[in-house]
Amino acid sequence: MSLRHMWIVFRKEARDLARDRRTLVSSLLIPLIMYPVLFGLMSMGMDKLDRDIQQNITVALAPSSDTGEVRDFLQNRVFLGRESIRLVEINVDPVEAIKKGEARFVLEVAADFEEKIATHQPVAISILYDDSDTMAAGSVGIVNQAIAAYGQSLVVERLNELGISTDILQPVRIDYASIPDDQKSGNHMILMMLPMMMTIMIAVGGIPAATDLVAGEKERSTFEPLLTTKPGRMSLLFGKYLTVTLFSLVSVVAQFAGMTMGILVNPGYLSMNGSSPGLGGFSVPLGALVLVILITVALGMVFAGLQLAISTYSRSFKEAQTYLSFLIFVAMIPAYATMMMQPQDLQAVMFAVPVLNAIAALKMVLGGAISNTNLLIALFSSMIYVIITLVFSARLFRRENVLFRS
Amino acid sequence: MLKLEGLTKSFGDIVAVDGVSFSVQEGEIFGLLGENGAGKTTTLRMLATMLKPTSGTAKLGKYDVVADPEQVRGSIGILFGGETGLYDRLTVAENIRYFGELNDMPSADIKRRTDQLSAAFGMQDYIHRRAGKLSKGMKQKAAFARSIIHDPGIMLFDEPTSGLDVGAMREVHAFILQCKAEGKTIVLSSHIMNEVEKLCDRIGIIHQGRLVDVGSIGELRAKYGGDSLEEIFVKLAEVVR
Ligand SMILES: Nc1ncnc2c1ncn2[C@@H]1O[C@H](COP(=O)(O)OP(=O)(O)OP(=O)(O)O)[C@@H](O)[C@H]1O
Ligand SMILES: [Mg+2]
Repeated sequence: MSLRHMWIVFRKEARDLARDRRTLVSSLLIPLIMYPVLFGLMSMGMDKLDRDIQQNITVALAPSSDTGEVRDFLQNRVFLGRESIRLVEINVDPVEAIKKGEARFVLEVAADFEEKIATHQPVAISILYDDSDTMAAGSVGIVNQAIAAYGQSLVVERLNELGISTDILQPVRIDYASIPDDQKSGNHMILMMLPMMMTIMIAVGGIPAATDLVAGEKERSTFEPLLTTKPGRMSLLFGKYLTVTLFSLVSVVAQFAGMTMGILVNPGYLSMNGSSPGLGGFSVPLGALVLVILITVALGMVFAGLQLAISTYSRSFKEAQTYLSFLIFVAMIPAYATMMMQPQDLQAVMFAVPVLNAIAALKMVLGGAISNTNLLIALFSSMIYVIITLVFSARLFRRENVLFRS
Repeated sequence: MLKLEGLTKSFGDIVAVDGVSFSVQEGEIFGLLGENGAGKTTTLRMLATMLKPTSGTAKLGKYDVVADPEQVRGSIGILFGGETGLYDRLTVAENIRYFGELNDMPSADIKRRTDQLSAAFGMQDYIHRRAGKLSKGMKQKAAFARSIIHDPGIMLFDEPTSGLDVGAMREVHAFILQCKAEGKTIVLSSHIMNEVEKLCDRIGIIHQGRLVDVGSIGELRAKYGGDSLEEIFVKLAEVVR
């Protein structure tokens, strides 16, 4: 094997693929724009839903309580100053009106409400709505809160009349305090999903390159002339292998760049509860960072080896694509299975299982509670898998009945 | 100089090439004539070290296909029929350069020889265009240039005119004769009698993996009393059966 020959092959393949639109789209463009588009769409959807929930809350009165007094009571006392709540007229039965969307809520207010208030008795108000409707379910709290606030104001009024402090209503007060958040950022959704997405992306990123570099060459009959040039098979294979690895890493880098853009588009997406991204204080020790990068690269190499082996084994481009799409499942199964797993739930054995070890290492480093021993186990086992997959594809690449199948 | 000695290749139970021996002198064109499945491609693939012989061996110049495959590959040029085998997304010059580099040529030599070949084949207008955008004829010339960028002493042609129209076929024939004029040792496989008659100094007839006879066209004619190569071929095939 000759390093120079390897380098010549690598350089040519990288240039060749950089001119291939399909490879560029799936290894660079899609990883780059996936997150900004996804985050953007999600934030647009959320914003719209939010607006619908917050604004234009239509409230109607049930026929039984649709009187001038009740209307005036709601408009000028209960919902006073609440711009988002609007009283509307309905001409049909309340249930029908809600179904048709004429009103989101239909209220029934006891006819003798003035008397009840005057005599300090509860006023019965019933709210009819459809709780399977996202918007109604979302804004029921707003209506509820408006009514409760009005009730509260009555309480304050009455206590004042009696000369009693409102503190009497609050025998105990609870203050919550959360411990400072150093390194641990476990509840960030992105940190839970990142290892999964990255693993899948690594598995996908090298596929166009791998398909093109052996199965593609066979199909376009450029492979035989190549085999008659001076370099040995292994130099050719390794040159191609480095190219596939490069492209799977390119897609990871593109993905990170895309994710950064996505976060800029919609910072709220970072956390589960839609608030406080708080990545500012997030930091990873340098040693662990280097280890986890090496582990990631090794995972890329494992996939590159498998992908080249599959591409070598395939008779045609199509066949290679079919087989390679199955390979994505190999990444998806452990990735999805551990998606919601918290860093503290990781077990040592996971750091030795192929693919899973990289996911576990990423999770651990992102989660903050770093064990260097586990990282080293992951790196060491990854290196073994790199060697195994390489030996496997090298053997296949030497097999005449595989290279010259037709 | 090229010499095969009992070259044999089996794929499982199929003996594709069975103890083939012949030798080709420098500057000579040797034609390997045979029907479909006779074992021509397999023989040439063994000479190009793409396949390892099951037994026997071959020497190309001073190199042995089994012992020194890398040197063998460095001293041969090939043109296999059907597609030209150029990389569509590389320019003609890049295609040629790649093969020059793979065959260990210094960059300056590649440049010089590319210019020379570009002029010889009249490729100046499209040498920096992508191969995928060229006409068939242009591609063919590019493939010629690429196959001899490293000035190999031995050329292997496997049915180089299969699927070509008359014009393109003539181009290929001219190229083969030009290689001969440059003193290259040439093995050409074909199942087209005319082609072999026109180009080859000596002919080996291969049938079901075996070389059934070797000689110049004159010798074969005298021996079998036939007129056309076709008749000789048919007679030989009958003898073997
Ligand atoms: N990789 C392979 N695996 C199995 N059998 C093969 C392989 N390559 C060739 N053969 C068989 O070996 C025999 C010789 O094939 P070969 O391709 O050398 O013939 P050929 O003379 O080139 O024929 P053609 O004119 O069709 O190109 C055929 O029977 C073929 O089926
Ligand atoms: Mg053939």
